[in-house]
Amino acid sequence: MPVSILPPSAPLPPRRDARDDDDSDVDMSDDDFPTSQTKSIVTPGEHITSDPQWMRGHGTYVPVGDSTIISTVAGHLHKTNKLLSVQPLRARYQPEIGDLVVGRIVSVQTKKWSVDIAAPMLANLPLSSINLPGGILRRRTAVDELNIRTFFSEGDLLVAEVQSLHQDNTASLHTRSLKYGKLRNGLFTSLTGAGGGILSRRGGVVRSRRQVFTLNTAAGEIDVVLGVNGYIFISKHITTNADPKEVGINRLDESVTETLYSSQNDEIEPAVMREITRVSTLIKGLVACGTKVDENMIVKVYEGAVELEAEEKSLGGVETGVGAKGVVETVLARLELEAGG
Amino acid sequence: MPREAEISLNEREFIKQALQEQIRLDGRAFDAFRPLELTFGDEYGVADVQLGKTRVIARISVDVTTPLPERKFDGIFQIVTEFSPMASPAFEVGRPTDAEVILSRILEKSIRRSNALDTESLCIIAGLKCFALRADVHIIDHDGGLIDAACIAVMAALQHFRRPDVLVEGEKATILSVREREPIPLSILHQPLCVTFSYFEDEVFLVDANLAEEQVRQGEVILTMNKHGEVCQIAKYGGATINPLALLNCTNVALQKVKEMTTFIQKRLEKDAKKRDAGGLLAELSAENAR
Amino acid sequence: MPLDTSTYSLALLRLDGRRWNELRRIHAQISTQAAADGSSYLEMGNTKILVSVTGPAEGRQAGQRGGAGSQAKVEVEINFAGFSGVERRKRKSDKRTNEMEHCLRSAFENVLLLHIYPHSTITLNIHIISQDGSLLAACINASTLALIDAGIPMSDYLVACTAASSASSSAADNASSDDPLLDLNNQEELELPFLTVGTLGESDNVAVCIMESRVRMERMEGMLAVGIEGCKRLRGILDGVVKGYGKRFG
Repeated sequence: MPVSILPPSAPLPPRRDARDDDDSDVDMSDDDFPTSQTKSIVTPGEHITSDPQWMRGHGTYVPVGDSTIISTVAGHLHKTNKLLSVQPLRARYQPEIGDLVVGRIVSVQTKKWSVDIAAPMLANLPLSSINLPGGILRRRTAVDELNIRTFFSEGDLLVAEVQSLHQDNTASLHTRSLKYGKLRNGLFTSLTGAGGGILSRRGGVVRSRRQVFTLNTAAGEIDVVLGVNGYIFISKHITTNADPKEVGINRLDESVTETLYSSQNDEIEPAVMREITRVSTLIKGLVACGTKVDENMIVKVYEGAVELEAEEKSLGGVETGVGAKGVVETVLARLELEAGG
Repeated sequence: MPREAEISLNEREFIKQALQEQIRLDGRAFDAFRPLELTFGDEYGVADVQLGKTRVIARISVDVTTPLPERKFDGIFQIVTEFSPMASPAFEVGRPTDAEVILSRILEKSIRRSNALDTESLCIIAGLKCFALRADVHIIDHDGGLIDAACIAVMAALQHFRRPDVLVEGEKATILSVREREPIPLSILHQPLCVTFSYFEDEVFLVDANLAEEQVRQGEVILTMNKHGEVCQIAKYGGATINPLALLNCTNVALQKVKEMTTFIQKRLEKDAKKRDAGGLLAELSAENAR
Repeated sequence: MPLDTSTYSLALLRLDGRRWNELRRIHAQISTQAAADGSSYLEMGNTKILVSVTGPAEGRQAGQRGGAGSQAKVEVEINFAGFSGVERRKRKSDKRTNEMEHCLRSAFENVLLLHIYPHSTITLNIHIISQDGSLLAACINASTLALIDAGIPMSDYLVACTAASSASSSAADNASSDDPLLDLNNQEELELPFLTVGTLGESDNVAVCIMESRVRMERMEGMLAVGIEGCKRLRGILDGVVKGYGKRFG
């Protein structure tokens, strides 16, 4: 029985039309960015190819008794040699070995912690994978097990590395490096859904060489930790009083031991706090603009924003959009001009 | 809560493979019901249905109340289902499982919403007095096919039930007891019955699956029809996808099954009526007195 | 209030001015809530629904870790806003809502590729802001969009719509006088026998089929055919929404 279905004919109400136009304006300015991915995306159920030479990767499936590769998520098609995979536009973070993540302790068990790292499952941090006070090479004892809460307790933030993955994709973390451990003296920011994946979306944290860096601001130095899972921690930079080159490895351990698992914040000057929140807001703005978040970008945008503020103070009234997104857009537009001119 | 025992992987494979070779484990044809047994209680409105090992008892009871303010001319009819732990350890009193919600919803839609019972005939005085009919469905033993069995039980019980007669004089209504006046049967407009189809790979559709088959199936389609060829309700909640033509084919099979079951219920009702009428009404009354 | 079907047979226009095979206006957005892993807002005519997806994440109850075996568990919660219907009334969790939740859960369990996320839980929170017919269909469509936004792999779009048979069941029994209607609003739903049909993407295969009113079996075919074609059209519309979003943020 041939049936044809008429599309809904009623035009959109003007209120929405206006909004849509507004959005498409943003589109255009976004499109000015040179990106390699201006092509349209694939959506679930879309046939990608029926050529048997291709292999199916993540985000695709092959129905039983067929050789057609079909997409299962909405995202960009990636071709790696003969492997076809679809990277979703937005998805939960999928842990991979070696990822630097920021996490929050959810529960404390006898020999391990459960850590929320925004992945499908809570990650484990076994007691045996942390640096115990008093030197790296110390044996784990029963006393440590009893005192497990003195290292990390519920709600503590930490930076860690994914050490291994279990069969059901549960991650095991470790903090066996001086780079990792408890976080304090700062501000936590979450970019939900934007993390993970390689360029999963233009906004989001990129797996890169430097995810922990120090930013020089007028008020002092600020540490930024970009977790690949979309969790970000920005804190006041604490200089260790001893120069690591002069002291032996054991001495260094001792010097950080007292502060390693402290939950007490140091004194933070209001000016530094201000800069911390500024960076945090700018990062959120970057994500709202759909820009990738990495060291280079943050440094540029931060400098631009400071400049903008100075101008605003001296000249009064610089035109920016609303909120963090507006500021970031203005700064980005200026950077564009500079690069062009 | 003890979980329902899950069927093991190799049993699962076994059942599937047998079905591929057109064999059901209990040797039935794909479109055959298990042996259906229907008995009525001594009282009016009690029906005991046994479908294979599944056993369901439905009991109708009546009460006089005021009608709902928004439905002044209608009597009240409600169906109450209860899964007792007696039927399966997975059932727990007071915490309805998904299966229980679905059962009561299907019965509700099949019988109440399709107007199988003429609720207007339950009204005594508009806005003041009406009969409140209540059908209690008890699951005594669970071996799959609960919905079909429960629907048969409720419909049979409704047809078996006799409500007391009333004498209305102006604003005053007198309920006449069984001794004073022969109780009257309910007015049933049509007889909806449920047929549950369980489907497997390769469009294999089974009628009246038992518990093991229910656990292996890819999905189910619950059809409610009456013998006149009207579909009262279709429920296919998710599950694997099926071809729409197969769905239409199900309605044809269901119609045939519903016709068979309706005649079966009719025969049993007649048999029961004959038994009751053995010595005429007076004989029955005196027998009750003796007790 | 009886629907004036006489005018329909004359002008072949429904009360809201649509033809028999015309969908209502659809407006959909995805990524509406920042806090959720995936979210969507869908309007089908005056039926308005907001869905947010959380997960795949660790289940809420400790100890009960996700679904049985090696699959993720799907949880559905439907919440009716007090102002969503004509009458303002609280409906906490009645059996009808439970039935809808069950339907959505079992429908999506078969569409989503749950084996990718063992032991985790995917929670769908559905908020019904305004109801004007085709409620279950709108819930299914909105949930599909939200799940796509959450990046949860699925074999295809699950789309649903409603179809009715306009001749009342008491009228002539011959199927030739049968006149199906597509995408009902609340008024039409009260008056006509209708079914909700959900299909998997472009295929004809039926994933969900729910009918709650009495109808002659001969009419089923016409209703199903129209419903399935409607679903195909809807899939195109929803796909356009996702693609448009991809262009903007891709």
